Amino acid sequence: MKTGRIFGIFAVAAALVSSPVSAQAEQQAMVISGDVKVVKTVTADDGTEQTELADTSVVVPGDKLLFRNNYRNQSTEPVENFKLTNPLSSAVVFAEDNDPALEVSVDGGSTWAALAELTVTNEDGTTRAAQAGDVTHLRWTLKMIQPGETGQVTFNAFVR
Amino acid sequence: MPPMAKVLITSARVISGSILLAIAAPALAEGVPAGTLIENTASATYDAGGGEETIDSNTVVLRVDELLDVAVASLDPGPIPATTGDAVLTFSVTNTGNGPEAYFLTANPAQAGNDFDPTVDGIAVDTNGNGVYDPGVDEILVGPETTAILDPDQILTVFVLLSVPAAAVDLDQADVDLLAEAVTGTGTPGTTFAGQGENGGDAVVGPNGADDNAIGTIIVGITTVDLVKSASVLDPFGGTTVVPGSVITYTIAATVTGSGSVNGLLITDPIPADTTYVASSLALDGSALTDAADADAGEASDAAGISVDIGTAAGGTDYSVTFDVSVD
Repeated sequence: MKTGRIFGIFAVAAALVSSPVSAQAEQQAMVISGDVKVVKTVTADDGTEQTELADTSVVVPGDKLLFRNNYRNQSTEPVENFKLTNPLSSAVVFAEDNDPALEVSVDGGSTWAALAELTVTNEDGTTRAAQAGDVTHLRWTLKMIQPGETGQVTFNAFVR
Repeated sequence: MPPMAKVLITSARVISGSILLAIAAPALAEGVPAGTLIENTASATYDAGGGEETIDSNTVVLRVDELLDVAVASLDPGPIPATTGDAVLTFSVTNTGNGPEAYFLTANPAQAGNDFDPTVDGIAVDTNGNGVYDPGVDEILVGPETTAILDPDQILTVFVLLSVPAAAVDLDQADVDLLAEAVTGTGTPGTTFAGQGENGGDAVVGPNGADDNAIGTIIVGITTVDLVKSASVLDPFGGTTVVPGSVITYTIAATVTGSGSVNGLLITDPIPADTTYVASSLALDGSALTDAADADAGEASDAAGISVDIGTAAGGTDYSVTFDVSVD
């Protein structure tokens, strides 16, 4: 069995366990925990292709990754105008099959829109339509999250 | 019981395999180096009861493992013309993986359809990087023939040194296969060698199986030149006796035979003793050549004889050189 490579998850879990309830006043209302899986395409005996999620013990260039962010409102009050931002590692490229409505940035998080509405300025001053490979950041916006409510946002990216 | 989890963006499905490949394939050429850590941290801002808050997620870290792969290609523009003796085939070996890797090389001259099997004398690397095999300069690998460690995308030029047996005849062809295999290991794509990648990661066999081969071809072109010299005599009386004053016309017929060509074909002939070269009588294929050493192919004089520089002559061509001498 291979050692898992998800180092950070355990630290956050430990921190949550050790947070005493009495610190409720300082505790943040929301918590986000992320993980990543490798998306494997397998061909079944009948020739159809199916995807499976595998752990990240083996990751090589060209692999498709599924990044997942789980959020939870751990407070007793509703949370409003929740904006979750995920910068994209330079080692991965945004997959073209993500939801086209997903709000992204191709300029490091300055401007935001669906990918199809964004443009990139070339070195010679001309502009072109932004492509999946230009994406630097992703963002999800939720108007309101009720106390105790959980949810998950995900995106796909390929290892460059 | 908590409310049902809300999935805003579901995992998008793979629409078709071709899309997956279309994205994955170009990513390999500039693949992330083995051992790279990919880190991902999300953050969020929101309005809670007490005002705006900002939080970070945990940081997910994964390490990119080493992909083992290689591409071998023939660098020869086509079958390499060869005669009996030595021949050299040129190949490129490219590390198409994402980590430093060395490769075992194997040259196999026993290929189906060969008219003959050449002997592999050795495998050399292009030490001086000029793309041409230089005996004594380019390193000949010793068995088991193994390249130096190549960085990702690094291209090595490799020479396969061959001997063509004397039994080979004109137009015989022979294929030679060069195989390169990752030293760490080969196998079906996805085969994993635990802990053998860069920085303690795994090494994973890439889409091409971590080995590749290519065929180079030699074609035997044995070209020969036959010279036949003949003479005709015209005496001062209209007959054919050799007497002082008779003019002897010499004809040298050159016949080039074979599928290849010969370089530097130079036809020379001294002026026989007791004769004198007849000025301006030198001709090639019926066209007069000047006696002077100048732009045309020929030159002639009493002292030096005649010389016609034909240069490169292809198999199947004929040349006829004529000149006159007078008997002293």
